[in-house]
Order: sequence, then structure tokens, then C-alpha cells
Amino acid sequence: MSTLASPVPVARKAPAFISLQALATLVRRRFTLTARTPRELIVPLLTPVLFALVIAPALRNALHTSAAYEAYVATGTLGLLIPLNTMFAGLGVIGDRETGAQPELLAAPIPRTLLVLANLVVALGVTALQVGVLIVAALARGIDFNASASGTLWFAAAATLFAVGMYGIAETLAARVPRQEEYISRVPAIAIVPWFLAGSLFPIVAMPQGLTYFSKLLPLTHGLALVRYGLLGDRSGLENIWGMSSTSMMAALSLGVVALFAAVLTAVSIRVFTRSAVR
Amino acid sequence: MRNDSRDRPIIDVRRLGKTYPGQVEAVKEVDFQVAPGEVFGLLGPNGAGKSTTIGMLTTTILPSSGTARLAGYDVARQPLAARRISSVVFQDAVIDRPLTGRRNLELHARLWRVDQSIARDRIAEGVEMFGLDDIVDRPVATYSGGQRRRLEIARALVSSPRVLFLDEPTVGLDPRIRHELLDVIGTLRARSEMTIVLTTHYLDEAERLCDRVAVMRLGEIVALDTPAALLAGLGREIVELRVAGDAQAGLAVLQAQRIADDSAFVVGSTLTVPLRDRSAADAIAAIGRIGLPVTSIGSRPPTLDDVYLRLTGDRISAAA
Repeated sequence: MSTLASPVPVARKAPAFISLQALATLVRRRFTLTARTPRELIVPLLTPVLFALVIAPALRNALHTSAAYEAYVATGTLGLLIPLNTMFAGLGVIGDRETGAQPELLAAPIPRTLLVLANLVVALGVTALQVGVLIVAALARGIDFNASASGTLWFAAAATLFAVGMYGIAETLAARVPRQEEYISRVPAIAIVPWFLAGSLFPIVAMPQGLTYFSKLLPLTHGLALVRYGLLGDRSGLENIWGMSSTSMMAALSLGVVALFAAVLTAVSIRVFTRSAVR
Repeated sequence: MRNDSRDRPIIDVRRLGKTYPGQVEAVKEVDFQVAPGEVFGLLGPNGAGKSTTIGMLTTTILPSSGTARLAGYDVARQPLAARRISSVVFQDAVIDRPLTGRRNLELHARLWRVDQSIARDRIAEGVEMFGLDDIVDRPVATYSGGQRRRLEIARALVSSPRVLFLDEPTVGLDPRIRHELLDVIGTLRARSEMTIVLTTHYLDEAERLCDRVAVMRLGEIVALDTPAALLAGLGREIVELRVAGDAQAGLAVLQAQRIADDSAFVVGSTLTVPLRDRSAADAIAAIGRIGLPVTSIGSRPPTLDDVYLRLTGDRISAAA
């Protein structure tokens, strides 16, 4: 008898280990596909790097502001890079569904939640890489960061959780929108508009009061305040949101907001994907 | 519960139905069982409910009613177990085009948890069996349609499934490649003990490959038997008479004279008469005696299209 006809041999391992193995396989697959799509790696970097390296110095010269403003804008561009990169990652999900192997993956003996988590892991990895590139570029441009060990942790936690939440939006939108063209048309409203309102280029208190209140509801506002607190030691963003005396308390509250954003959007994305995968 | 016994069906479908939003009944409480090692065909035009049935059996479509079990596993309640023992070749190309053929095969092996050494052997065997040696290390984006389809079938076999679903495997392929693929599927049937469920609207595929065929129309199974038994119901020869006039009256005359039986039917101006004990000449003479002008006459062996036409009043090829 042909080996093709012999019974299915499966490794006898614990379910959690099996899920981890499957997750690793899916992560490798998604990473390979992403690496072969330069668009997904390069395009999200262009605008933030332009802001950090060209526009921020130009604004500093034109407005006669200090080097601190340059650092302010450079960190603010992370609030553009992360949403753009995670939203671009969502394009891969639509491609997978329309012309890729998604139906095969849905027919595989693995929990379908793993498909979302694998995409999330790769989106986080690529985002981390790009954030690293942006910071290195900013340092090379002479922008001064003032990050302590604990500050770095606040920054990393805020950036990671915010990226997780944004990827949840991307995956949810990708599951609901039939074509890439429609998806792309919605990216500016989701990834760019909030950036202008979240204290990226100026403090939120500089806006009309109504918009200031609104901006405090945006997870990005909390994320950027934490990033600046972590990388620059600047607590003004947190003060503008919370108005408290304890910096640690304000940072913890803002991190809680971003964590809630990440948890809710991830849960929603998994639910929407698994429901849309089965008709 | 698991059922490994060879005398029990490996696929057991009972009152399985699917109603999509908008009260669109795609599948209407169908029943069928498939024995281990059987090649089972779902035959019908587009919209008959074949792909929805396959979708429910492969757990990508949730049944609205009834049950379906693969090797004893309920597809709605034990979907992971049902997926572990099955593979699908989809109607459309479903493959990672930027990856090489080999990477696609390896990915399937990992997801179906085939031991690495066995996976290596199976991939090598599949590559040889499907003639992929020269292309397997190239990106799939460079493959022709036939090469890609051969790779997809090879991929489905890497996990050595107990049940293989082939959903319209030859649709969109040119005739030469289509016949090559039919040879491959025929070889597969001869070489292995897996159960194959094949959907198609090509009658010759069903006749050539399937042990039994379920004829579907508008979500229902209208006939289920071996191709030979379905054809036997129409006798050894069929005569088709196109008449200028009342074809139903002609049919009534033929039935009154016992030249035609209940299996004869009329579609438009064409009388289709399965012949058993009588000859085509008898039928033509009887029609001539009532003065009904015959504009064309044809005689041929019956096909599954005739079976479908008799059951539904449509030709599969026309409806597809």
C-alpha cells in the first residue's frame, strides 16, 4: 500500500503544545508572506520618518521652538507609524481570503483563533522593527531621548498594547470589508485622523475644550502620553489627561485604558473572524 | 463517539439542511451515507447545493438542521476531529502563491501534524505521482492552472486523509489538463483506500470516477445510485424524436402502444424515449401513424444527462 494511503500519524502531545506548534507554523507562514511583500514593510514607514526627520526640524526652525519640540514630534510620529503599519497588515488578511490559502487554513485541524493570533504576532514583530528604525533614525538625526529603564518599560508596554488594539481594528475591518480597495479607503479615517487629535504635534489642551475632552477618550492620546513619559520623561501629556499629582497613578491609569483597548479589540477581532469564517 | 468499523458509513448525513439569511434554502434536509473507500459523487448544476453540502462536511458552513458525521465525528460539535481526518481540494485556487510548491506541501503537513519523516516521504511520493519534480521548488505564482491544481491535490494527500473532498476539481481547466487530472484521480482511487467525495457538473467525470452518484437539484437529492443503475433505468438505447406538433400527444401514443414506458419524457418539442424491448423503428412508425411530423431523429446510449433530464426537466449542462 502506498504511504499516501496509510493512516494519519499524529504526534501525541499535549493540546497546549500542539496549539503552540500550530501557532509557530502560522507565524512562520505569515512572516514569510509579509517579507515577500515590501509594500507592507516600507510604505508605513515613509510618512513617520518624513515627519521625524524633515517636518519636525523644519517646524522647529520655522517656529523658533526648542530641540524639545523636535523630540516631541518625533515621539508623536509613533502614533502615526503604529496605526499605519497595523492597518497595512490587515491588507494581508484580505489577500489571504481572496487569493491566498485562507480556506485551506480554515479546513485545517487547528482552532481558528490561532489564525488571528499568528497574524497579530507578525504584525507586532514588524511594528516593533519599524518603531526601532524610527527611533534609530531620530537618534541619528540628533534628537535627544531621555529614557530610564522604567521609562523604557512604560514606553514598550504602551506601544505594544496600542499596536495590539490597532491590529484588532485591522483584523476586524478586514473580516468585514470584501475588497482591498474598500479597506484602504477607510484607513485614513482610522489611522490618521485620530493622530491629529491625540496630542501628536501639540498638547491636547491647545485645542478647543470640546475636542480636548474628546481626545481624552482616544486610546492613542493615552498611548502617546505614556510614550513621551517613557522616552522623554515628559509627564505633561499625562497631566493634561488626568490632572493628578501622582505620575505613577496617571501612567497606570493610561496604561489601563490602552490595555482595555487592546483586550476588547482583540476579543472582537477573534469573534468577528471566527464568525465570518463560518457561514 | 468514533466509528472505525468498515461496514459502517464513514460519512453519515441525516436531514442535513442549510438556510442562508433571506430564507435561501441551499440544501434541504438531505440524507446519504458513504462507505469507507467509496468514491461518491454529488452531481448537479451550479446552485444545486453541492458546494454548500461540502462546506458543511468540511466545517466551513454551519448546518441549519440535521447532522453530518465523518468517521463518527459530528462536524458541528467536533469540528477539529472531523477536520483532522479529512482534506479538501477547493473549487477555486487556494494556495500561497508567493511560496514554493514544497513550502505549501510542508505547511499542510505541519498543520495536520504529520510526523516530519513521514511528511518528507509523502511529499516526495506526491511530487513524483503528480509530476511536480521540476516545479516543486518554484514559487506557485509561476505555475500553470493545471500544475497548480495537481499541487493542490498532492497537498491534500500529504495528511493521508480518510476522507478527501474534491469540489469541482476540473472546473476552468482546458480539456487536455482536465483529462490528465481525471487520470490522476482515477489512479488515486486505485492506489488507496481513502473515501473520496467529488462534486461535479460534468457527467463524464461522475460516470468515470464514482461508485455512486447523488443527483442534486435545488438543494435536494433527486436520485442516488450507482451510475450503472441510474443508466439502467433508461434501458440500453435512447431515441430522441423532435416533432412539429403536440409532443405530449406523441408520447401518449407511444405509451399506449407500450413502446414507451414511464421513463420516457418530453422537453419542449423533443420526445426522449428509452427503448427496452422495442426498436427505434417501432417508435418512428407509431409517431408516423398519428400524422405527427418528425423533424429529426437520433439514437444513442443513455447518459447521466438523460437521467437528470428525466428527473428534473433540465439538462445539467444547460443549467450549469
